Amino acid sequence: MRERLIRGALPSVLSVAAALLLCFAAIAVVAASAKVALDAYLAMVWGGLGDLPRFLDGAGVAVLARPWGEAATKAGLLALTGLSVAVAFKAGLFNIGAQGQMILGAIAAAFLGAQLELPALVHPLLCISGAAVAGGLYGLLPAALKLRRGVHEVISTIMLNWIAVSLVENWLVVGPLRARASGDLSISGTDEIAATAQLPRLLGETSRLHAGFLVAVAAAVLLHLWLSRTRLGFETRAVGLAPEAARASGIPVHGRIYQAMALSGALAGMAGALLVLGTEHKFPATIGAPYGFDGIAIALIGQNHPLGVLATALLFGALRAGGTRMQLFGVHKSFPELIQGLALLFVAGRMVWDHLLALSKRKRPAEEAPRA
Amino acid sequence: MDGVSLEIAPGDRLALVGENGAGKSSLMNVLYGLYQPDRGTISADGRPVRLRSPKDAIALGIGMVHQHFMLVPSLTVAENVVLGREPTRRGLLDLDRACAEVEQTCRRFGFGLEVRTRIESLTVGSQQKVEIVKALHRGAKTLILDEPTAVLTPQESDELFKVARELSSAGHAVVLISHKLKEVLSFATRVAVMRRGKKVAEVPAEKTTPEELAALTVGSELSRETNGARGPKKPGAPVLELERATCRTADGRKALLEVTLSVREGEVVGIAGVDGNGQQELAELVTGLRPLEGGKLRLCAEEVRRLDPSLARRMGVAHVPEDRLLWAVVGPMSVEENISLGRQHLPPFSHGGLVDSRGRRQRACSLIRDFDIRPPDPQAALSRLSGGNQQKVVVSRELDCAPRLLVVVQPTRGLDVASVALVHRRLAKERERGCGVLLVSLDLDEVLALSDRIYVLYGGRVTGELERASFDERRIGRLMLGAEEATFA
Repeated sequence: MRERLIRGALPSVLSVAAALLLCFAAIAVVAASAKVALDAYLAMVWGGLGDLPRFLDGAGVAVLARPWGEAATKAGLLALTGLSVAVAFKAGLFNIGAQGQMILGAIAAAFLGAQLELPALVHPLLCISGAAVAGGLYGLLPAALKLRRGVHEVISTIMLNWIAVSLVENWLVVGPLRARASGDLSISGTDEIAATAQLPRLLGETSRLHAGFLVAVAAAVLLHLWLSRTRLGFETRAVGLAPEAARASGIPVHGRIYQAMALSGALAGMAGALLVLGTEHKFPATIGAPYGFDGIAIALIGQNHPLGVLATALLFGALRAGGTRMQLFGVHKSFPELIQGLALLFVAGRMVWDHLLALSKRKRPAEEAPRA
Repeated sequence: MDGVSLEIAPGDRLALVGENGAGKSSLMNVLYGLYQPDRGTISADGRPVRLRSPKDAIALGIGMVHQHFMLVPSLTVAENVVLGREPTRRGLLDLDRACAEVEQTCRRFGFGLEVRTRIESLTVGSQQKVEIVKALHRGAKTLILDEPTAVLTPQESDELFKVARELSSAGHAVVLISHKLKEVLSFATRVAVMRRGKKVAEVPAEKTTPEELAALTVGSELSRETNGARGPKKPGAPVLELERATCRTADGRKALLEVTLSVREGEVVGIAGVDGNGQQELAELVTGLRPLEGGKLRLCAEEVRRLDPSLARRMGVAHVPEDRLLWAVVGPMSVEENISLGRQHLPPFSHGGLVDSRGRRQRACSLIRDFDIRPPDPQAALSRLSGGNQQKVVVSRELDCAPRLLVVVQPTRGLDVASVALVHRRLAKERERGCGVLLVSLDLDEVLALSDRIYVLYGGRVTGELERASFDERRIGRLMLGAEEATFA
């Protein structure tokens, strides 16, 4: 069991390591100095995991807590969109629409957060639920188009992303849900959400680490248990791996696909809620960051395993949070994204890995004997 | 595979027999450059050679016809034959020359193939000829046929062996890998028997018998058990009735035309017919995979209007389909997960929506033991099992449902002698238990051996019904080819 886990994770780990090395080499070559690359990498690490050297110098807990907050916030969003893509993959669908589903979830959370008056703990939970429902319903659209009309989900989800942007950012946010101007100040985005709807900070005011991170971790663990321990999870995996065999064994294939896409959309919608309730506290003029698209990379590097996705999200959340610190050494802050892209490329080149593994195995002696 | 020596001379007709996993395919894969030998040498024309890839093997005149065809269905015969070494003119594919060359090869070896037809419109038998032409076109002097008749009708098999014989008298060497001892003995001049990776015997074909070969392949155990133990049993109430049933193929052609038949408790009903005459659709119809378009379908005397696979399972229908990788198993999942498939919502496989991994493990282990599934590891990925063992997983699972109607299609295709006997024994046991069995097989011997009653299908119609007492191979053959008017017992 453990051996299988290690072997399964190996291509991803190697891919990430190769991407890190390659980027290191790139910085070193461009800056003509390995020292610069090392400094930049260290800055990225301390920026993501907490500035341990300065903490040991007695700089106070804030130098740890602040990076943790940035890393965890990003990791939470990446984990949820990654899980969104992964669960659709498990049912055999390629959901490119996490971005659109996230936008729908974000506007739902912003609306519920601003309009309702509820006690502190209930309010964010309701907003997250509302976001999940909005994202989930939006995820059902491509499923229905595929199952009823044969529209490939890659095409329909890409188009639905643009529809979501137009609907929310180009209409709702500048129209019906636009923030009420206070005085002669014009404010972009929607109204601020109520204080009761904000996700509570976990480490005090210095760190932006909020309860949304725990939601993401819980989602990953629950999804893992759902896929591996429940009948519905088993059936969903069977549908994804062999739809005809699933049908022949009496599994309602369409039902499982609808369900998986609703779940996928709901997870992306929750990412939108975290963004609004935890960080922005309103729907901003535009959701600049393409977390929904990052989710595709996170899911693939995590090999669609919920815990793998969580681990990948934590890693890249930390790298991205720390990446901004690289600028101090004249290194562009987009390097973490470059690392992510390269790692994805290497994972996608898995066939090459597999081929190399197969070659090394073939050279090993006489284990091939009994095969019909 | 361990210390095997083999010598093949021009004009040889060598057969290689042995159980699933005895090392036949490994041996041939070494010869074809797919595996490298750890020890020992390969010599061609007296000179030692190294075969690093199939390319090297092809260069030495070794051609292989795989059990699963390696053809591109949407391309023509000629295009498939030249694939990989296409004749070009100024960098562009020269299709006319390709056709002319392939036509010449066909003529030279006496194959009547129309080189401009697409593969997908050919019968399985013709597709196999294309594979052989492909090997010959590349200059093969030694031809390896890996279970070539597994998918062929008796007529097609006869023709294949005629062609192979002609090739060998023209100086080609032919190596036949097969489980069917009858065809081995009628075709080969020499028979090599493999067991557990070793060559245990090599005998001239005229000096041996099917019994001896069967004994050699399984070792000390006795040869193929006959199912003579079948008691004459009075069948009970009908479990399946079709009345003027009609349905279509996936591409909309009529597949079954007003078929009327029945299967009763405690009887094995065989469906004989040449491949593609509606057997496939019949099996899919009664298991709920294909909708009924006309006529009536009754399961256990209850008329069912809209049967789906889930309803069929609830009504006690189990299914061992022909294409197990498509219809029956999930390759990347483990053996135990595959065993739970179809009953994943029932105990002992789950309780209250949660998978019961302990119950599932126990059941899987007991089936693995009963059916001698190898390797005996419930957590092994199913796709890592050999074809025969995958089939055993499917058969064991479906029988474990204690079905009232068991629909089996080609249940022993590609299985070794011992596994065939096991499956046949279990089918007989189901019959004893009172289960109705609908057996669809292209292996007429199998249908004859197991069935209490046979329906012959031709062109989607039932052209004949015979009781066991009046089984007549020749007559069934004529009915299968539509050469005799429909008659009913």
